[in-house]
Amino acid sequence: MSASVHSYPRPERDQELLGDLLHSLSQPLTSLRCNLELSIDEVTEQQQQSVSAALQQTETVIGMIQLMREYLDVEPGEVEHAAALTPVLRSLGENLSSIAAVRSIRLRVLGTSAAKVRVTESRLRLALQYLMLALIDRQPAGSEITLLLTEGAAGTVLRAQCDRSFLDPESRSAEKGRDRPAQRDSVRATMRRVRLAIASRTLNAAGAALSLDDGAPGFVLRIPHMD
Amino acid sequence: MRILVVEDDAALASFLQKGLEAEHHVVDVARDGEQGRSMALGIDYDLVVLDLNLPGVDGLSVLRSVRQRKVYLPVMILTARGRVEDRVQCLDSGADDYLMKPFSFLELSARARALLRRSHSPSESLLRVRDLNMNRVERKVERAGRPIELTTKEFALLEYMMRNAGRRLTRAMIIEHVWNLTFDSTTNVVDVYINYLRRKVDDGFPTTLIHTVRGVGYQLSADGAVA
Repeated sequence: MSASVHSYPRPERDQELLGDLLHSLSQPLTSLRCNLELSIDEVTEQQQQSVSAALQQTETVIGMIQLMREYLDVEPGEVEHAAALTPVLRSLGENLSSIAAVRSIRLRVLGTSAAKVRVTESRLRLALQYLMLALIDRQPAGSEITLLLTEGAAGTVLRAQCDRSFLDPESRSAEKGRDRPAQRDSVRATMRRVRLAIASRTLNAAGAALSLDDGAPGFVLRIPHMD
Repeated sequence: MRILVVEDDAALASFLQKGLEAEHHVVDVARDGEQGRSMALGIDYDLVVLDLNLPGVDGLSVLRSVRQRKVYLPVMILTARGRVEDRVQCLDSGADDYLMKPFSFLELSARARALLRRSHSPSESLLRVRDLNMNRVERKVERAGRPIELTTKEFALLEYMMRNAGRRLTRAMIIEHVWNLTFDSTTNVVDVYINYLRRKVDDGFPTTLIHTVRGVGYQLSADGAVA
């Protein structure tokens, strides 16, 4: 927690204040979540629906706070770690292919690279997870996503290519085959945008260059050689 | 088991006490670092659940004191600080596990069980829930003598559920433990894989083992229910 916010430059001060706010929010939210979880068995069946709905809403709020925290935690130029790209990408590819397969989407990771990224492994994993999940989420069933690693003179390039255009929100809801309130779709779209912003901020802070052309199916990540 | 909860937030401490007592543990609560340190060192506990941000003596100092005198006492840290460096500092100071607020009580309970199991018994290679058997070394599953073929992810999911038989597991807990991914509340991969498992584990048997817990997630029932 900050003892004296006035000794910092403004951007860091704002970041510290927001961090403190999120820190303070997490305490009552923990109590609320634990209370709802423990209450669910103690109430009548009719009340269970209300408690269950309240628990789901609480978890959505917690998810958003978690995203804000992840966004604030990216600190350019302060990371001394370096994570190897290929093993992280391959491990994620294995885990996410089972998620993609649920929607009959094929996910492939091709190529290899010795590239390292100036970021902790957990942060690199999170950034790539967000990028790949956003692609899976927006691709139509039956499509194919290829992540191709290539090495060149300037560094490594990770290119994500999809063989179809992104789904529009209405088609996505129709594919789901169930009633999805518009508010939920809006929350979903907002959270996806924030996740992409976290991925972009993390990778850019690590010295890589991420190109995300909104609407176009894919991304390009350029990682320069480390000195 | 006897558990010490060191938490200055009265509401949260009370929910944790209530939840852990419902799981048949004996729970003592300390409201500040000094009291927590004194109780942890003076009384024979099986587990200490320790908040990091305490008035007076902070959680990290309590942890270091405990570690000097009681090397094998499991300590789980609760904190609202989510940065990697904070986590590393806690683990370096001797914490056995680290849970970030706002956590789910079900997650805390599962981790507490894992720590208690680790300190009291060797890892089990054979898991059994009623007539369902899993050999973790040979990676074989059978129910009532009938072999069940599972994919890698299905096996991991069933193993996690068998290890926590009789306990409620949220979708977030499942996706974080089985897929090693940050939970995204909009994905339905857990529900899909639970359905895959149900077809293989429950279909054709008079007793169903996998149950939906409305508003929470899923549970592998240790006592079963007639289909």
